[in-house]
Amino acid sequence: MTTPILRIENISKRYGKKDVLKGASLDVNKGDLKILIGPSGAGKSTLLQCINFLVKPDEGRIWLDEQEVHYANKRDLYAYRQKVGMIFQDFNLFDHLTALENVRIGMVRVKGMGKAEAGERAVLELERVGLKEHMQKYPAQLSGGQKQRVSIARALAMDPKVMLLDEPTSALDPELIGEVHAVIRDLGNNGMTMIMATHQIGFASSLASEILFMEDGRILERGTPDKIFNHAENARTQEFCSKITELYGERG
Amino acid sequence: MTVEYGDTMRHHVTIFHTFLGAIERMPESLIAIMDALPYLLQGSMVTLVVVVGAMGLGFALGAPLAVGQVYGHPALRRFIAVYVWFFRGIPLLVFLFLFYFGLCTALDINLSAFTVAIIVLGLISSAYQSQIFRGAILSLPEGQLKAARALGMSDFKAISFIILPQALRLSIPGWSNEYSILLKDSAVTYALGVAEIMARAHFVATRTYQHLPLYFAAGVIFLVLTWVGTKGLRLLEERARIPGYSPQGS
Amino acid sequence: MRRKRFWGVVLVLAASLLLSSTFAIAAEKVYINGIDANFPPFAYVDKSGAPDGFDVKALDWIAKEMKFKVKHKPMDWDGIIPSLKAKKIDIVASGMSITDERKKEVNFTIPYWKIKQVLVAKKDSPLTVEKALADGNKVGVQRGTTEAKWIAENLIKKGGKKFELVQYDSAPLAVEDVVNGRIVAAAMDDAPAIDATRKKPVKILGGFGMKDEDFGYAIRKDDAEFLKKVNEGLKKLMKSPYWAELKKKYIDK
Repeated sequence: MTTPILRIENISKRYGKKDVLKGASLDVNKGDLKILIGPSGAGKSTLLQCINFLVKPDEGRIWLDEQEVHYANKRDLYAYRQKVGMIFQDFNLFDHLTALENVRIGMVRVKGMGKAEAGERAVLELERVGLKEHMQKYPAQLSGGQKQRVSIARALAMDPKVMLLDEPTSALDPELIGEVHAVIRDLGNNGMTMIMATHQIGFASSLASEILFMEDGRILERGTPDKIFNHAENARTQEFCSKITELYGERG
Repeated sequence: MTVEYGDTMRHHVTIFHTFLGAIERMPESLIAIMDALPYLLQGSMVTLVVVVGAMGLGFALGAPLAVGQVYGHPALRRFIAVYVWFFRGIPLLVFLFLFYFGLCTALDINLSAFTVAIIVLGLISSAYQSQIFRGAILSLPEGQLKAARALGMSDFKAISFIILPQALRLSIPGWSNEYSILLKDSAVTYALGVAEIMARAHFVATRTYQHLPLYFAAGVIFLVLTWVGTKGLRLLEERARIPGYSPQGS
Repeated sequence: MRRKRFWGVVLVLAASLLLSSTFAIAAEKVYINGIDANFPPFAYVDKSGAPDGFDVKALDWIAKEMKFKVKHKPMDWDGIIPSLKAKKIDIVASGMSITDERKKEVNFTIPYWKIKQVLVAKKDSPLTVEKALADGNKVGVQRGTTEAKWIAENLIKKGGKKFELVQYDSAPLAVEDVVNGRIVAAAMDDAPAIDATRKKPVKILGGFGMKDEDFGYAIRKDDAEFLKKVNEGLKKLMKSPYWAELKKKYIDK
């Protein structure tokens, strides 16, 4: 069976006169890890935010499990967002809540779970990202890597079908990137479906089921890591990949 | 030379006599203050209830106004901007009279001066408080709302559980300011016959002709109330503080 | 958890305060007498803060005699007639002079007290009334009173006098400024002026040409029945021995 779990068709977004997205389409199968690469301003972040409608697309349609998402209907939108977890570049943990409360609040306030039950689940998720002993700390007391792991636990606690990761390690000091990558790798190994924008070519090529090269609001080229990094057809893709390899070290 | 010297001497002597006179008068003024103190302190309770009531009303109205002004429909935002302009623009005394003699009579509702004082101060305070909250909301990172929405929260839930709890914490210093302003403004409500501190000091002074000591006592009571209130709010701020968090940096 | 409950408590407190203050209005009909508590000896508050004075005690007697309930409420003199018209209060028994202008707004009882308007100056002042009202001097008066109006109209506007009229919240405040030397004299009713001479180093210079006035109680125009009742009570009072007692206690001393 190869019906995609998430279908994204022809998403366009315009800010004023600037076309940020010019008809991006994408099918994601269960267990896929799609990696978006491309220069900044290419539209990667906008595409990810359009996928869960944090940014309203001007055009385009999205299906989850073959059900089209009617995002104008609030109830549909809220239900859909629960199933599509989002990880932000700068974490966006709720500053007034402890790590535990951050993970718990979605379950309590959105899913309507009891506090005790949700608390147990939150502890489990924090344990999974290796932060059980830090669960009573507030975001301001955590390191960047720890914050991002809490935010992953927060998303996981909602039982998402798909996770969107918007450059999850680009705000981190280099020595903290590894711990977040380990968590994402672990998720991938457990079959989580993910779309991730990143500049970490090495990490991407070792894990991705498909790499999509974006530029100027379009997906210019897509294929396996080997194809994109070593045998790209498009000259722009080749140029970008050689530059990014220089910047972010050897792939592998 | 000698004349100058003599003048200086005389001057000193006069000052000395005035000083002696002040000491002699001291017991009398102290007695006046002591006599009036229980009555003035009752007045401070009236003042306090007016101020706390007005702050409560201002909060109950100001918080939704702030949310409306930040997140609302453009028409709603414009309405709130006009509301704020209106209540900040009219002098308190004018508004008290308009409400008490005008509106209450026109609508044939008989509200006590005390109630009107709370409502009017509360309405004015709601305009100011809404701007305190608005500033606090706007100072929060945009990502907070995004993250809440990404979890599937409605805007209402996101604002209630994520935005307001943070914005209100940031508002406490502004409240402290608002409290001391309300405290001083409350003295104006005597115009409607609310027997607060200043009115009472005035009453006793006209009976005893001890104006200075009584206004002095009233001033001290206001200072103490200001101190207690701002201290209380600082404790509240301390209790509500998020460990490690400072609003400027992350 | 503790934090959330804490915010809850703050909210509940604020709300309950608001509600209790709004609904705590009594139901029983009590006539409210609006007084200027800065007008001794006719109306003031005593040491405990209870309203006292010649007018207060007189109306208490009338209320008891005529069987109605009365409460005295200190108010700002400026707003006292608007308050009466707006039914915030029902009567003003607080040394109010009967004037034609006020008669257009409210009804008055029979006159119960004749009042002279006098000038008060420092005890050691060499001034006479004439000299006190000379050009360039400053003379104090309580805002919103008949004397304030009369002086402005008759002495300054029509009489062409060039002294400055300084307005105060109450006559005793004007007396304070006489003592301080900011103004040379204060114009006021004779009874409070006598009160002032007992408590401050001031003396009465004498009248300044204003006609004697009568005090009466002011009552709303549509309250004819209440006016009748109070008039009847007032007549009884003025014939009773208590009237002399009141005069002795509050005014002659």
